[in-house]
Amino acid sequence: MELLDQILPLVQKPARYTGGEWNAVRKDWSEIDLKVAFAFPDVYEVGMSHLGLQILYSIVNNRNDALMERVFAPWPDMEDKMREHKIPLFTLESYRPVRDFDVIAFTLQYELSFTNILNMLELAGLPLRASQRGDEYPLVIAGGPCSFNPETLASFIDLFVIGEGEEAIGDFLDDFRNARIRKLSKKDFLREVVRVPGIYVPSLYRVEYLDDGAIRKVEPIGDGIPKRVNKRVVRNLDKAPFPTRPLVPSTEIVHDRIMIEVLRGCTRGCRFCQAGVIYRPVREKRPETVRRQAAELVRRTGYDEISLTSLSTSDYSPIRSVSKALIDDHADRGVGVSLPSLRVDNFSVQLAKEVQKVRRSSLTFAPEAGTQRLRDVINKGVTEEDLMAAVGVAFQEGWQAIKLYFMIGLPTETVEDLDGIVHLAREVLARGRKAGVPRGRLRVTVSVSSFVPKAHTPFQWEPQAPMEDLKEKQAYLTGKLRDRGIVVNYHDAGMSFIEAVFARGDRRLCRVLERACALGCKFDGWSEHFRLDRWLEAFRQSELDPVWYACRRYDYESVLPWAHISAGVSMRFLAKEHRRALVGETTDDCRAGSCTGCGLCSALEVEPVFAGGEFDTHLPNAVQ
Amino acid sequence: MIPIYRMQYSKEGTARYISHLDLLRAFERAGRRAGLPLAFTRGFNPHPIISFAAPLGVGIAGEVEYVDLELTADITAGEVLKALSSTLPEGIQLLEVRMISEHSPGLMAGVERATYRAVAKLKCQLDQKKIDESIATFLDRTEVWVERKNKAGGKMKFNIRPGIFDMSGRSESGKIIINVELKAGSRGNIRIEEVIEAFQTVNPLPLAERFILNRTGLFTMDGQIKKTLW
Repeated sequence: MELLDQILPLVQKPARYTGGEWNAVRKDWSEIDLKVAFAFPDVYEVGMSHLGLQILYSIVNNRNDALMERVFAPWPDMEDKMREHKIPLFTLESYRPVRDFDVIAFTLQYELSFTNILNMLELAGLPLRASQRGDEYPLVIAGGPCSFNPETLASFIDLFVIGEGEEAIGDFLDDFRNARIRKLSKKDFLREVVRVPGIYVPSLYRVEYLDDGAIRKVEPIGDGIPKRVNKRVVRNLDKAPFPTRPLVPSTEIVHDRIMIEVLRGCTRGCRFCQAGVIYRPVREKRPETVRRQAAELVRRTGYDEISLTSLSTSDYSPIRSVSKALIDDHADRGVGVSLPSLRVDNFSVQLAKEVQKVRRSSLTFAPEAGTQRLRDVINKGVTEEDLMAAVGVAFQEGWQAIKLYFMIGLPTETVEDLDGIVHLAREVLARGRKAGVPRGRLRVTVSVSSFVPKAHTPFQWEPQAPMEDLKEKQAYLTGKLRDRGIVVNYHDAGMSFIEAVFARGDRRLCRVLERACALGCKFDGWSEHFRLDRWLEAFRQSELDPVWYACRRYDYESVLPWAHISAGVSMRFLAKEHRRALVGETTDDCRAGSCTGCGLCSALEVEPVFAGGEFDTHLPNAVQ
Repeated sequence: MIPIYRMQYSKEGTARYISHLDLLRAFERAGRRAGLPLAFTRGFNPHPIISFAAPLGVGIAGEVEYVDLELTADITAGEVLKALSSTLPEGIQLLEVRMISEHSPGLMAGVERATYRAVAKLKCQLDQKKIDESIATFLDRTEVWVERKNKAGGKMKFNIRPGIFDMSGRSESGKIIINVELKAGSRGNIRIEEVIEAFQTVNPLPLAERFILNRTGLFTMDGQIKKTLW
């Protein structure tokens, strides 16, 4: 700490590195057997906003035989100071070097954080490649959404946990402890731990390639290694551990509020959406559970806002009664309720109006595509009428700014679909004017991202549009949408390109990651740090072609790099959905009662869970 | 009568890196965890009525700081102390709580002086005479100009010497310890970092590291006499 006191006054936001937050857990190092460092490969404010961290932190620290401490990627100013003073990567609880832990557990939230993982390993003084780390080094494990295509990190991570971590982390720690008692080597432990469902050890699989560079096959090396690793699923959210004493940061973070997950999963079936597949089935929490957790969280955190989180909170069956109950319970103490991720419909706007005490300046909707044809292709069942009804109500209720999310580069997109985006933006603007929103205040923000094909989705076979095309489309939209009151912003096409490479790539890309890291790539998800030229240089040095990875179409017959990882949804269903997409046929939500045949429930022996209540969610026109 | 509580606290250890705005939030959250009936401002975006005596720069510890907190129900000062003491984050410690009358002058308006301690390891031994001489030479100057940023972001020269009231130093087990008394508050505030930097520029001491800074007290003036903010 003394050395830190010399350095911290020289860096931005020093509270990122000090720990000592409310509800932080500091255990006696000498008394505890299993020491785990949870590593988030992004800056503190981002990592601390992640509910998964809070969940795992509480589960592990509730065990008597284990402790979990946290480490985040130091911002480059701090990294420079650490390197200058030879301070190895340390955790916030004990300021101990990460290298002293038994396990380093990375969470993989987005592909553009991968270089930070390598950089953190390097700062910790660990060899990057798993094969170079002997028994004297900690075990490096990883989980989170990007582990559904773990291949691009296969050389660096000892084992991946596929799917939900609440139960898997305990199973893993039990096995790890047991192996330690028996003095197993790391290698022997890894061979044994694959018995635990959801655990994938990449070094135990061999990949063979065809002459054209595609994958011939991926197969286990030796007996007893599963051919396919199924994701872990928690059956019942009410019984799943949920932290009611979460860490409360002393410095402002991105999501600085109580987060209660009210449902997991989403069955709307947008065909580009990976979360919609990997978090299936839908499991809703019972209203009593939500209310009890909220009461405890308010008391234990002191936050003034309860956010009901999920992939689509207006889909939570009892949303209206639960949010009302929470307001009644806590309003007198100045605690409000907020609802992120609303659907594009009237119901959602009414709900937002009832619930949000502090009126945020803008409401966000995600029609995703500009024409009905393309919205049918992606199975985003929202119509222009839904959108106009929703924004109409929003303007009448006093909102003055609307944000619209669109994607470009979607399969089958034409210039008409781009014109559709222009049309929708102008229509929304016209609604605002008609509703009498003052000209100076009225604002329609059109946020344009580029389609990135993701593993385990119906669009996993689709190529990404060439970067030049994406840039042209961005220019087309900004050129057309010059109306006063409309603001267009778009994601860097280069970033989406690299994201696509790593989202659909194979383990040969590990070389590229190493090169990129050596060339100084880090914080690639931050536009101020992203450097496409360095990435292209890394590909050149590794003699791999990023375009081949991002913009090549996979066949149904192709062995996909993630073919040995299963999210429970059958390939057959994904292919069927893909074919339906191309002819513009939509598929209903299984909530509506008819099974769409995705195969998940039978494959994983699970079922959707609905909290019941007053069916506020009318399905036919209620689509986000 | 609206109950207002004046609290004396220290902010040390990891808490020295909590910024002023974050400190406000920390007290609000601690108050809610303690189950205190916080009073809120009226209006569109209500916030708890909490006011500090003087902001403390990030990285500077405070040994005797003050904050006023308004509640909606009458609770004894002792109960407030007890409740809040166990809910403040690491490094923030409540020292004393007193109930004050609504008509007491605001905390911020009362602040006129602040005392600081700056400590750093020395590269080599320094005798007392050398330390005294260094400080005397510095204080002998009638003007000490530093550069400050104005609101428009431009640079302007500012003379801090009239705001330096006292300065002394000693060395102890290889460290130099400097104590300073500076003008503080809304009618002109001198930052300890400015003073230390100017001092080191005029008369550099052989330091092995950066100064670690503590604010040791905040005061109001009764004529020529310093008084605490109670």
